[in-house]
Parts: sequence; C-alpha cells; structure tokens
Amino acid sequence: MIGAFLSELLKLRRRGLLLGGGGAFLFFTALFTILGIENASKNPGNGHGFHVSVAELSQPNGLVRGLSHAGPLLGIVMLGVFAAAFGAEYTTGALRNLLVREPRRVQFLAGKYIALVVFGVVALLAAGIVSVGLAFLLAPSKGVDTSAWTSSTGLSDLWSTMWHLVLSALGFGTLGAALAVIFRTPVAAIVVGIAWLLAAENILTLFWSNGSSWLPGQLLENLASGGSSSVSLVRTALTLAVYWAIVVVGTSVLFSRRDVAS
Amino acid sequence: MSTPDHTASQAPDLAVTTTGLTKRYGHRAVVDSIDLEIPRGIISGFVGPNGAGKTTTLRMLLGLVRPSAGTGEVLGHSIAHPARYLSRVGSLIEAPAFYPGLSGRRNLEILAALGRHDMHRVDILLGQVGLGDRGGDRFKNYSLGMKQRLGIAAALLPSPDLLVLDEPTNGLDPAGIREVRGLLRELADDGLTVLVSSHLLGEIQTICDHLVVIDNGKLRFQGSIDGLLSAQTAEVVAVPEHAGDLQRLAEICTQAGHTARIDADAVHAPAPETWAPELNRLAMQQGITLAALAVNRGTLEDAFFAMTDTDAHAILAHPTTSEVAA
Repeated sequence: MIGAFLSELLKLRRRGLLLGGGGAFLFFTALFTILGIENASKNPGNGHGFHVSVAELSQPNGLVRGLSHAGPLLGIVMLGVFAAAFGAEYTTGALRNLLVREPRRVQFLAGKYIALVVFGVVALLAAGIVSVGLAFLLAPSKGVDTSAWTSSTGLSDLWSTMWHLVLSALGFGTLGAALAVIFRTPVAAIVVGIAWLLAAENILTLFWSNGSSWLPGQLLENLASGGSSSVSLVRTALTLAVYWAIVVVGTSVLFSRRDVAS
Repeated sequence: MSTPDHTASQAPDLAVTTTGLTKRYGHRAVVDSIDLEIPRGIISGFVGPNGAGKTTTLRMLLGLVRPSAGTGEVLGHSIAHPARYLSRVGSLIEAPAFYPGLSGRRNLEILAALGRHDMHRVDILLGQVGLGDRGGDRFKNYSLGMKQRLGIAAALLPSPDLLVLDEPTNGLDPAGIREVRGLLRELADDGLTVLVSSHLLGEIQTICDHLVVIDNGKLRFQGSIDGLLSAQTAEVVAVPEHAGDLQRLAEICTQAGHTARIDADAVHAPAPETWAPELNRLAMQQGITLAALAVNRGTLEDAFFAMTDTDAHAILAHPTTSEVAA
C-alpha cells in the first residue's frame, strides 16, 4: 500500500494536474469570496445565497461565507480529479503495468485513494488559505468589520467549515473514483457523476419530498454547509458514512475480481 | 521477499508450468486446457496467429486475468497468488502503456515506487535501452521504437528472474531489433528466463531456444526449435543445364523413391538434405549436368503453417536456404 501511495503522489506532481485541479480549487474559492464581499450591500440580506449585507459579513461566520458557498463546486472538481486519476489507468492501459508491480489490488486501490485524499486535503487547505487571505484583504474596502472573524467563535466557524468542506469534497471524490472503476474511463465517470448530481437528484427532489435526506449529492451539499434545519449534521454524516462504506467495499470487490483485459 | 508456496510442486528446472489452463468468455474458450512447461534460463518463443490466445495466456500468468479452469505455477508459486512471484517478474504486454503527459523517467519512477524497487535503476535502465538522453521527454512525444524501449526498461525494473515480453521488437528499426536481440541473449546467458511472444517467426527462430505454438486456444507444440526444425522434411531443388532434361531428372528422383515436381526450370523433391549429393551423382551418371543444386531446409514458418494452417500473409518470416554447388 505504501508503494501505491508513493507512486500516486509522484503521478500527482505533474504540472497539468496542479494547474488544472489545484487551480480550479483556488479559482472557485477566490471567485466566491470576492463576489461575496464585493456584492455585500448596506441593506440586510436574507441570510442565504450570495446577497448578504455588510452587517452579516461582519459576523464571526462572515469569513467563511464565500468558502462554504463554493462547497458544491469544489466537490464537483474533486469528483473530476478522482475520476481522472482512477479512470486514466484504464484508458492509458497503464493499469496492466501497475498491477504487475503491485498485484495486491485492494492495497493498490487503498494506497492510490489515500494519496488522492492527501492531495485533496492539501488543495482545499490551500484554497481555504487563499479565501481567508482575500477576505481580509477585501473586507476593509466594503466597510466590513473583521474583528469578529478572529474571535474564538469566528475561528471555530472557520475550523468547522473547513472540516465540513473537506469531508464533503472527499465524498464527491470517492463517488468519482467509484464511477471510474465501474466505467473504466474518466469521461464516462465524470459525465455520469455530474448528470446524477446536478440533474437527476434535483429532479428527484421535486417528486420526493424526503429526497434531501437520502440522496448522496444532497447530503454532501448539506455536509458542506454544516447541516440544515431539515437534515441535521449528525444524521447527514451518519448516512454518508454508511454510503461511503458501501461504495468502498463494492468498488474494492469489483476492482479485485475483474479481469484486466485491455 | 516472497515466502515459499506450500502448494507449489513445480520442478526446479521449470520457470512456468500450467495444467489445463483455460479461459472462457461466455461459451468460447479463448485458452483451452493448455499444459505449458517452460524451462528456466532459456529464451522461449510464444507464437500463434492473431486471436490464438497468446496474450490471454500471458495475462493469466501475470495475475491480470483470472483462469476459468486449470492451474499454473510461475517461479515455483501458484498463479492463484501472483503477489508471491511478480516481484521477480518483468513484463511488457501488448503495446507499451504509460502516462502520455509524463516523461519516460517519471513513468519508470512511478513503477519503481509502486514495486518498491531501487530508484537508481531508473537512469541505468534508461541508458541500457538507449533512452539516456531522452528520459526527460514526455512519453507522448516518443516514437514507437522509443516507447517500446521504455517498455523493455520498465520490464527490467525489478531485476527479474522471468521476463515476459509481448512483441518486444514492434516498431524498432533493424538496429534496435538487433540490440534487443543481443540484450535478450545477454539476459538469458545470465540465467534469466525470457518468454517472448512475436509474430516475427524469423526473429523467434534467431533468438529463441524453445518454442510454444498455440492456435485457437490450444497448444500445438512446445519444445526445442532445433527439434522442431529437424523433424521438418527438407526439399532438394535441382536445375538442369538444359531444360530438356527436366523430365528425366524428375524420373531419377522418383526412381530413387522421392516424389518430384517440375516448377519452372527446376525439379523439386522433398527429401533429406543428405540426399542432394546422391542426386548430383545420379544425374551425372545419366549424363545430366546440373546448373544448380539447392536444399530448402524446413523453416519455422513451414512448421508453423503446418501446425496452424494460418494465412501466410499474417506472418512474416525469413526463409533459410543453403545452396550446394553443383
């Protein structure tokens, strides 16, 4: 497993991925942070969406508003990164070389997954740092008082938001990895993943009132935003943990048993 | 370090054995109950027409494809436990497959890290296969021959005891083919076992000591190439000085107990190579002067076609013909 982890880290150190995947994380968090602050108005907002007031931004959780709104998009990027990393082994044919060097397939899969998790955490932390830095930089120009951001409540909000964001994005990534193993191509995995998360689930929730409590994409979004009044954070986390276990076991069994014939 | 496999029963002088090895897809047997015995320390050629089941067999030996039936052992360990022997096996299966956006060196480093092999071997191997100054180039910018060389370097990464190569000279220029041939011979001389699949029968005949022929998933032959070729009947070809003597020359062959046919300006008689001087003598006794007398030895190609009944256009071969001065 250590070999698989180290080899995946070597693979992840390529410029294209760092600029593409890492750049996308930074771009979306920066975009949401800048737009959130620049669009802040003197009038009170409704507490949701992008239109927040200067007063709301001056609250302890004002620092992480941009970051938490970027959650679903960061999740989609993470899905793409994981799907590309797992699916490329099939489309390039490299999997046959890799599995000769590491025939213990579950260990191979685990090492690769952990390396991607490390990459994802580092990328999200970097995105978080950029978001926080931009927020402090832009806040004075809009008259936002940042003193509450550094209070213990503010720091606690920052920590929990980052934590929820990371777990949510890794959940999206796990889904991308599983789809790539199932379809054996990154393109199909990304298309199916996005179609399910952005289209199918939203349609289902129109007809299934309790859908947000069970649909994985809805739950991951809920996790990123720290829970909601309709589905608590604890219930969201527990349901997702069960889904995660099912996906990991199912993917491992499929990957272990399937012939590598291409 | 692998631990001894208590289920192993392979003779110590054999690198690969299989018993009834079978792979079915649906009702179709791609590999059909093959019993292989490949000795250690030799270069064994693995030949068969397209779709014969060569690559599937190699994939089963490498743990990539699960057999439908049968058993096998590689380097003394059951193929049901590939982790026990693959650290001592190098392979190049089908086309070299690497990450196109990464350099040749980085691709090898990834494999070395995965197999926990010595990273220092990467540059040594790049030099050994002639990519020393191109290791930093992206794989997608390599020519087919360079890709093939990188594939061979990857196969040599673990300092293997067994090398499994599928069409290793594909895309190489004549100088490259000669280098690979020399490299394989050098490795075999050092005690390494090489199992090499190829369509180039002439190439196989040149570099291999041992041969495995499969067709339609079934084993047609395994053994030494010399043994196979010596079992082939040669053909004596005689060209009389005067075309009018063709018929009489054919009759001489027939009277000596060899069937003969006239083709253009020559008489062709399937016969042992040693009979050529006798034919020369008999022709002289009948007053026939031979302009040329040649022996076409049985080639690997002839043997291959006899065993597989394959379309000749699918295979390239180098015929071996020696001429005996008349």
